[in-house]
Amino acid sequence: MKKVYEPLKPGRKWFKELVAHVVFFVLGRAFQSAAKLDAGIRREVAEWEEGFTLAMCILPKGPSMLLKKVDGRIRYAGWAKEDADLIIRFKNIESAFLVLTPQMGSARAFAENRLSLVGDVARSMSFVRCLDRLLAYLYPAFICRPLVKRMPPVLRPIRRRLYIYTLGIPFGL
Amino acid sequence: MLPSYFEFYNPVKIVSGHKALDNLPYELSQMGVARPLIVTDKGVVGAGLIQIVQEAFGSSGMTIGAIYDDVPPDSSVDVVNAIADVYRANGCDGLVAVGGGSPIDTAKGVNIVVSHDKGELKDYMGADRLTGPLKPLVVVPTTAGTGSEVTLVAVIADTRKNVKMAFVSRHLLPDLALIDPRMTLTMPAKITAATGMDALSHAMEAYTCLQKNPLSDAHATAAISLISRYLPLAVEDRKNATARLALANASCMAGAAFSNSMVGMVHALGHATGAVCHIPHGVAMGIFLPHGLAYNLPERAEIIGELLLPLRGAEIYAATPPKSRPERLLESLSSLQKALESKAGLPMRLKDAGAREDQLGEIALKAINDGALMMNPREMDIEDAKAVLKNAF
Repeated sequence: MKKVYEPLKPGRKWFKELVAHVVFFVLGRAFQSAAKLDAGIRREVAEWEEGFTLAMCILPKGPSMLLKKVDGRIRYAGWAKEDADLIIRFKNIESAFLVLTPQMGSARAFAENRLSLVGDVARSMSFVRCLDRLLAYLYPAFICRPLVKRMPPVLRPIRRRLYIYTLGIPFGL
Repeated sequence: MLPSYFEFYNPVKIVSGHKALDNLPYELSQMGVARPLIVTDKGVVGAGLIQIVQEAFGSSGMTIGAIYDDVPPDSSVDVVNAIADVYRANGCDGLVAVGGGSPIDTAKGVNIVVSHDKGELKDYMGADRLTGPLKPLVVVPTTAGTGSEVTLVAVIADTRKNVKMAFVSRHLLPDLALIDPRMTLTMPAKITAATGMDALSHAMEAYTCLQKNPLSDAHATAAISLISRYLPLAVEDRKNATARLALANASCMAGAAFSNSMVGMVHALGHATGAVCHIPHGVAMGIFLPHGLAYNLPERAEIIGELLLPLRGAEIYAATPPKSRPERLLESLSSLQKALESKAGLPMRLKDAGAREDQLGEIALKAINDGALMMNPREMDIEDAKAVLKNAF
C-alpha cells in the first residue's frame, strides 16, 4: 500500500506558554513596582524619553509584555499588541522558558543568540541593568547570583521583595 | 572552553592577495553588477589608491557608474542621502566601498537607502530592522584594522541631532571583501600601528568575551599570530608588501571573529572615548587593550593566558607556567605598546592622546551604555569604568 504524505501541524506547548504568560505578568508588575522603590532603576528610567515603550515577546506570536513610560514612571501595559521602541524577542518558546523560569541570565541568553533585539542597543543596556536589579529583589541571592555577572547592591531586599510580592504584583502598586 | 551553544555566520567571499583588485570587474559581473558606484574619500584619492581601482576596470567592458570621493571622516545621514541620489541619478546597480571605516560604513548606509523604496535611514536604525537582502556591496579596505569588510554593523552620525546611529543586520554584510596589499602600502607608521592595535583588540576581545566559540577562536588566534609577527615589521618598513598583506588578512580574520563573538569593555571604552574626545578608534584600542584584559583577569585568567601562544609563539608559551601566562601576556602587550610608541608615536596613555581628566566621567557614562559591554565577561559599572579610565589616563 502506498504511503500517504500529508502536512503535519505540530501541537502547542501549552504548559510553557502558560508559564511564560504568568512570568511576563509577574515581571511587568514587579518592574513597575521596583521602579518606584529602587533608586538605581529610577535613575535609569529617568533617562528614557516620555512615552518610551519596551516589549518582550516570544516569536512568532507567543506571550508578551509591554512596558511604557507615562508621566515619568514606568507602567506595565499588558500584552505587547503594538510595535515598541525597543523589542526584545525570544527566538523560541524553549529559550524563553529557560530565561523566564529563571535558569539562564540575560547576558548568557544574548551570548547564545537566544534573544534578538530590535531598536536602540544603548537603551537595551539600561534595561538589562534594571532587570539585574529587579532579579535581586525577586529572587534570593543563591538563585540570582548565577543569572547576573555581579550581584547588584540593592537596599533592603527582603522588605522590598515582600512589598513587590504582596502589593506590587497582585495590585500593581 | 566549548560553549554549550553558539552561532557563526560569515557569508562574505574573501579575495585576498597581491593584485587581487584585478578580479574586481569579474567578481562584480558574477553578482550581476554592470554599473557600480564607487564610494571613497579624499584621503584615498590623495594617496593615489582610487587610480589602482580605476585601472582594475581597464579592458573589462564595465562602466563605473560614478566615483563619489567626498565622504567625511565621520559618515553622516546627509552624506548617505547625497550618495544615494548620485547612485539613482547614474543608474547604478551595486556599490564598491574603497577606504577605511567611514567610506565602508557610509556605503552600507547608502545600501540601506537605495535598497528600499520608502522610508528614511533612521527607520532602519538598531538591530535586525532590515528584513531583506540589499544591493551587491564590495568592500576594498585601505586600512588593516576595522574589519568592516566582514562585519554586519554600520555607524552613521545624525549631525543635526548630534547622535550616532548604529545599524546591525546580517544584510549589511558585504558580498565580497577584496584585500590587496597595494591599498595599504601608503599608510603612515602611526596609522599602521593604530589600525594594527584595533585588529588585535578585535581578536583578543572576541577570544576572551562571552560569545567566544571554536570558529571565532580559530579566526582570532590566527589574526593574533599574524599581527604579532608583522605589525612591528610593517611599522618599520612601510613598503613591505608581505607584512601589509599579512596585516590586512589578520584584520579581516579578526573582523570575522568579532562579528560572531562580540567585543567587550575595551571597545565600549574606545567608542565612548571617540565620541567624547574624538580620539581615533585605533589609538583608543591601543591604550585600552591591556587595561581591559587586566580588568577581566578575575573572570578570565586562563583564557587570557592562552593568548600568550599566538602572541609570543610556542616556545615562550611552553616555557611559561600556566599561572604566569596571563601576567606574561600583559607584559608582552605592554612591550608591544612601548615599541609602537617609540617607532610610530602611538600614545600609550589617554592624556598623551589628547583626552582631559575632566572628560573621564562623561566617557564612563557613555561606555556603560555601549552595547559591546553586554558580552564583557565581568560587570563594569560607572565607578569601575572611571577607575579603568583613571588607570589609562
